[in-house]
Amino acid sequence: MAAGLAHPLTYSVLIDQQLGLHLPPHVYYMWLAMIILFSCAFILRGRLTLVPGGLQNVFETVIGGLEDFVVLNIGEEGRRVFPFLCGMFIFILVMNYIGLIPGCDAATANVNTNAAMAITVFVYYNYIGIKKWGFGYIKHFMGPVAFLAPLMLILETVSHIARPLSLTLRLFGNIRGEEIVLVLLFILAPVAGTIPMYFLFILGKTIQAFIFFMLTMIYLKGSLEHAH
Amino acid sequence: MFFSRQDKSSGHMGVLGTVGTIGMQLVAATFVGLAMGYFLDKWLGTDPWLLIIFLLLGIVTGFRDVYREAMRLQRRSEEEGSGPGAGTR
Repeated sequence: MAAGLAHPLTYSVLIDQQLGLHLPPHVYYMWLAMIILFSCAFILRGRLTLVPGGLQNVFETVIGGLEDFVVLNIGEEGRRVFPFLCGMFIFILVMNYIGLIPGCDAATANVNTNAAMAITVFVYYNYIGIKKWGFGYIKHFMGPVAFLAPLMLILETVSHIARPLSLTLRLFGNIRGEEIVLVLLFILAPVAGTIPMYFLFILGKTIQAFIFFMLTMIYLKGSLEHAH
Repeated sequence: MFFSRQDKSSGHMGVLGTVGTIGMQLVAATFVGLAMGYFLDKWLGTDPWLLIIFLLLGIVTGFRDVYREAMRLQRRSEEEGSGPGAGTR
């Protein structure tokens, strides 16, 4: 929440002084998100039950709903790539929500985190496409008409390289903007001004995580389905 | 909260997501074309020409992506409007 300040005092600054590692804040908040998710996973793994209750119920609702959505869009093949998609969604969602805790900052409010994730997505969907189609994957870049193929090859290359860029900047711009708005409203009207914005930003951060997830799904669909 | 009525709300979120991507894709493709032209020029030493050509190609790519996305949205809304199970999906 303190990303907009010139010298933000967040918990990560204090931790960094204690540890003396000189790492930027978003690394600590990414680790925090990982710790939260890993501990949830380890707690749940120990006591999985047939009739879910509590935390298991929450995760089953989210993951089950997302799996239905993916299978509806990609088809049965979607189940193979679903762990990656769902992991991405939950990871981004947790990192976004961490930004709402006072004194914490969203790891996704830094362009490096998002670039890393977007490049992972780029490599992954191309890997899936090459694994499925072999050398024939290049047909995805050729377009439908044979004599336009050289032009389409360049156009598709530009389009594919633009994908990680737009993924990165969209997530970064939205989350960073929300963090700055929170700080500004806190300066204008402490607490009273920020609480209404929390409801809006919980919605906004969920939608941003969902957009990242959905675009990854569309790209994977494009590399899995037959070329034109 | 968004997943309690997953069937309906994921459709709305999907449309919102697609609409949100359109403008970004246009800008990103333009800049990628510009950057490719710039670095190819630096590499090959053909000063302004590849920059201009690749910038135009980037703009064309951006518009083509937007067009394709809009067509996909339209097709989906037609499917949802005319299909018998439009409300339940």
